[in-house]
Amino acid sequence: MTDKQAPVKDQLSQPFFDAAADGKLSVQRCDGCGALRWPPLPSCPECRGRETTWIEVTPVGTIWSFVVYHRAFQKSLRDQIPYTVAMVQLDEGPYLVGRLEQGERKPAVGDRVTAEFLDLDGVPTVRWRLA
Amino acid sequence: MADRNPVAGKVAIVGLGHTAQGELPGRTVEEIAVEAAVNAVADAGLGFDDLDGLVACKSVQGSGADTTLGPVLGLNLPYVQTLNYGTCNFSLHLAAMAILSGMASTVLLTYGANARSGKFDFGQPMYGTDMAEAAGLVHIAGRAGLALRRHKALYGTTDEQFGMLAVGQRQWARKNPLAIFRKPMTMEDYLAEPYLVDPLRRADITMISDGGVAFVVTSAERAADLPQKAVYLAGMSEYAGIRGEHNPENLMRPWLKDSAQAIWRTTGLEPSDVDALYIQDPTALWSLQMLEYYGFCGIGEGGPFLAEGHTLPGGDLPLNTHGGQLSESYTWGWMHLVEAVRQLRGQADERQLDSPKLAAYLSSHGFFKAAASVLSTDPEAGA
Repeated sequence: MTDKQAPVKDQLSQPFFDAAADGKLSVQRCDGCGALRWPPLPSCPECRGRETTWIEVTPVGTIWSFVVYHRAFQKSLRDQIPYTVAMVQLDEGPYLVGRLEQGERKPAVGDRVTAEFLDLDGVPTVRWRLA
Repeated sequence: MADRNPVAGKVAIVGLGHTAQGELPGRTVEEIAVEAAVNAVADAGLGFDDLDGLVACKSVQGSGADTTLGPVLGLNLPYVQTLNYGTCNFSLHLAAMAILSGMASTVLLTYGANARSGKFDFGQPMYGTDMAEAAGLVHIAGRAGLALRRHKALYGTTDEQFGMLAVGQRQWARKNPLAIFRKPMTMEDYLAEPYLVDPLRRADITMISDGGVAFVVTSAERAADLPQKAVYLAGMSEYAGIRGEHNPENLMRPWLKDSAQAIWRTTGLEPSDVDALYIQDPTALWSLQMLEYYGFCGIGEGGPFLAEGHTLPGGDLPLNTHGGQLSESYTWGWMHLVEAVRQLRGQADERQLDSPKLAAYLSSHGFFKAAASVLSTDPEAGA
């Protein structure tokens, strides 16, 4: 089994990775209606406008929910279990799914989290940590 | 109501067939689907020459399309269609639409799977490799777990309440010789199971099994001449939550309520009219959500409702009387419709309910699409 976990870095998502490499969290903002969106899309699902600007957002949010994997459904995850994946609502609105670092404290729905930026085999990666 | 429900009493399921469920090594999806079809056509008292329509459902691996099924089935037909997703409800609805439009009169529905023997990788990215998959949110249990934990946080749903689904399904499966998981499972056993994807345990998630299922669906006029007691489609509805993944709308699926409102409005029926309930359940979360959104209990009240035992053998809302996807078999929910038809015909042996008149079959394709059917032996139901 190959490692299927590498995120797609394409023309659409490249600005996100470029910003993450600089330690910044960014999402798309529609030039037409101002709606923020994640994940990246070629046009705005609110107003169908095509013009978009990537903007930096505050890397702080709230845990909407999370799961803890005790089984690795892919070989590449075997040395990582147990690991936690959270859906985080950014203070500025959009929801992002990402890895939540295991800390001393057990997470709960509603907990505040902050983003950290690491380089995993050349891929800029966002991880969440309890605030 | 008739002007709003053109389907009621017009279309009937007249034949059902399936293969053994479990492991069918060395067999193709098409061959498995055709074995089920042979059984369904025989059950209907028909021959293959009587068919003029086919709705083929692809397996999870993408096999079993009409064009690959056709050579094995040995038929050319006026109306054929392929669905690339399961649960049978969508196939049934396409058949009903073909019959109501006059494009076909007697339609075969097929599904075959060899995901177990074929060692299909359910951990592979479902929606392309995006940031969520890269973070390790793989397998349907991940998304279901996110929705369940949110439900628990919002409404106080406990493991004991949620576990009533898995425990109840095992109780039903113990009455079903076809069921793959029949070992007794008490609530104590359930709670002692470790989490697989916390907050979900192994027993909350479907098994992977091979198997085929087929149905013959025809017009009410033709059904009257056939040997089996006709099971009429009293109503059908769908709703698509296709806007996207990784947001509360798609995980909590409040749009299931739109499908629910449509089916109760068009049929004039209500949840209390349902004698037997079938919820396609790749994880037990599906049942929790659909019990609430289809109005069998209030939103957020699924936990206490389950704890009261309504859905267990002997309860007033028998749920998945064959054991569902948690205990009977995988089949992407197709065996739910087999069991609903058997119960309505009075052919469910040890599991037979006391003369059920109305069954509801609720399903969804992943976190995207909802479908519901109400079935009855009474052609006037839903009219």
